[in-house]
Amino acid sequence: MKTTLIISFCFFLMASVVSWADETCMSPYMAKIEGQEDFVYIWTLGVPGVGDEQDKLVTVDVNPESDHYGRVVASLSVGGRNEAHHTGFTDDRRFLWASGLDTSKIFIFDVYTDPAKPRLHKTIEDFVEKSGGVVGPHTNYALPGRIILTGLSNSEDGSGRTALVEYTNGGQYVATYWMPTDSDLQGAKKSGQFADGYGYDLRVLPRKNLMLTSSFTGFKNYMRELGSVMGDEEAMKAFGNTMVVWDLHAKQPKKVLDVPGAPLEIRCAWDKNHDYCFTSTALTSKVWLVYEDKEGDWQAKAVGDIGDASKIPLPVDISISKDDTRLWVNTWNDGMTRLFDVSDPFNARQIYEKKIGEQVNMVSQSWDGKRVYYTSSLLSKWDKQAPVGPDLQYFKGYNFDGQSLTPTFAIDFIAEGLGAPHQMRFGAYALHGVKAASR
Amino acid sequence: MKALTLLAISLLIASHAGAQVLAPGYGTLDYQPPEIGTYHLPPLGTAVDGTVRDTAGQSHHLHELFDGRVVLMGFIYTQCPDMNGCPLASYVMKQVQARLLKTPSLRDQVRLISLSFDPQYDTPKIMKTYAHHFRHPEFDWLFLTTDSEADLAPLLQGYDQWRQKVYQDDGSYSGSMSHILRVYLIDRDRNIRNIYNAGFLHVDTVYNDIQTLLQE
Repeated sequence: MKTTLIISFCFFLMASVVSWADETCMSPYMAKIEGQEDFVYIWTLGVPGVGDEQDKLVTVDVNPESDHYGRVVASLSVGGRNEAHHTGFTDDRRFLWASGLDTSKIFIFDVYTDPAKPRLHKTIEDFVEKSGGVVGPHTNYALPGRIILTGLSNSEDGSGRTALVEYTNGGQYVATYWMPTDSDLQGAKKSGQFADGYGYDLRVLPRKNLMLTSSFTGFKNYMRELGSVMGDEEAMKAFGNTMVVWDLHAKQPKKVLDVPGAPLEIRCAWDKNHDYCFTSTALTSKVWLVYEDKEGDWQAKAVGDIGDASKIPLPVDISISKDDTRLWVNTWNDGMTRLFDVSDPFNARQIYEKKIGEQVNMVSQSWDGKRVYYTSSLLSKWDKQAPVGPDLQYFKGYNFDGQSLTPTFAIDFIAEGLGAPHQMRFGAYALHGVKAASR
Repeated sequence: MKALTLLAISLLIASHAGAQVLAPGYGTLDYQPPEIGTYHLPPLGTAVDGTVRDTAGQSHHLHELFDGRVVLMGFIYTQCPDMNGCPLASYVMKQVQARLLKTPSLRDQVRLISLSFDPQYDTPKIMKTYAHHFRHPEFDWLFLTTDSEADLAPLLQGYDQWRQKVYQDDGSYSGSMSHILRVYLIDRDRNIRNIYNAGFLHVDTVYNDIQTLLQE
């Protein structure tokens, strides 16, 4: 077993290990894969007319030493479609939480008993009831011994007003923390025009006791055809314009920042002296920096343009490098991945781009940054339907030499009867002390 | 003896400092923790019971040893080589002990427990020796172990404490274990109220959490 790994905490990795990373885009409380990942687990939307039409967790073998390299080795359907979207491991990396934006169900997969063949461990079906009306569990983020989820909406009006919801690793509901709004700031300081109460992603900087959230849109928009939403002036007003600075330990909102245009994924820097995080705004097509100023106050600033905003490239997933100098930014509408130089975090400059497919959403890279993976799907009602072919709904692997991407394998998820692939997470035998099966 | 122990710990930290970044628990917190009583620690499940053995070799139910106090309990094993693992837990708990000793109104309301997850090596006698490095003679910090893997298993499962023995190529046990460091704060009603790991465990936050629970 040549896989090397480090089971540690990113606090130490921040300064002691030089690393790239989608591994480092996850919770700093989590065990990490330092070497070659064995598997990528892909939470996949069921598509009518494709295979069994159900949402499923697809496992692809990505170890070049394997006889099954670049091939699907397991597919576990969960029964029906739930708007499969994001996933996240528990801090011990034994379980993968995968949530559905439509049904608000959460599927907890055991990925340690047999890393090559995850099994469904538990399904949480009462998320809305338990949380007091939160709808659309999105980010599944590991904290010590527990998972905190962001919601996208609520059961009362289907708007973007939502909350954070905490569970134990075992799947027991713990608490709900509603996002601050104009009518109830909960002690937070409103720093600009907005306090919309919307949610999307969540990341933490433990060394600064920072928890940071972003904002998207509610059920009424994300479960509606994209063209219909964009043609509706009122609907287009119902997108998030805020990020919220929280006290991580107390789970209390401290400050609401204006970040107009739907700030989505959040990626925080790793260097112990880099007290900042990046996001991208889907509607205004910019890179934003949230940083701690000299007075110790958190601020937000637009620091770069992503493509031509007038052409609506629609930035989606981002991924920061180990040394905080590079940021991958995917633009879904034109299918491009773009590499930004963020050595100066206040001046993000695009230095490379490559077309990945007809549409591209998620990007994940290995710990060393030498392998980069992409999936295509955004939302069931927003995904493109044509041209049908291998570049429409796919999982693709690339090698990255620091300058350019070279394709290594691709899987057409429609041709394989799987569906529309969304978020990727890495697995490794060595994480769980399991020997690889015969190659 | 105390001076020697402190020196030994200091040297241990120093010897590792060059190779490994130490956890925040070894240093000064880089932020002002939330004030005592201004926040809520929601229950994170029940702190389960089990059969344990103390350094005198006496068998107990774990709940009996909670003694109706707020409990700070960490899983450790004495051969743990990772400075940011078990030694961190014991180091921070020793700092908590020092603060409690200075606060007579609190000291008898809080129980410290270090529970080994290596019953094979960590006998009551070994735990007693280990305790000498950390326990103040005037503080009733309990160092516990179990008789067997069978007695330990329900405790590990109940606290969701993952640990895995590391085996050598010849299949023999190496004596070390991979694990996620976890220290649990438990209220008087035996509910887990916080879980700390290496990135989160610091005397300032733990001490504030203890006082926040005691103010309820």
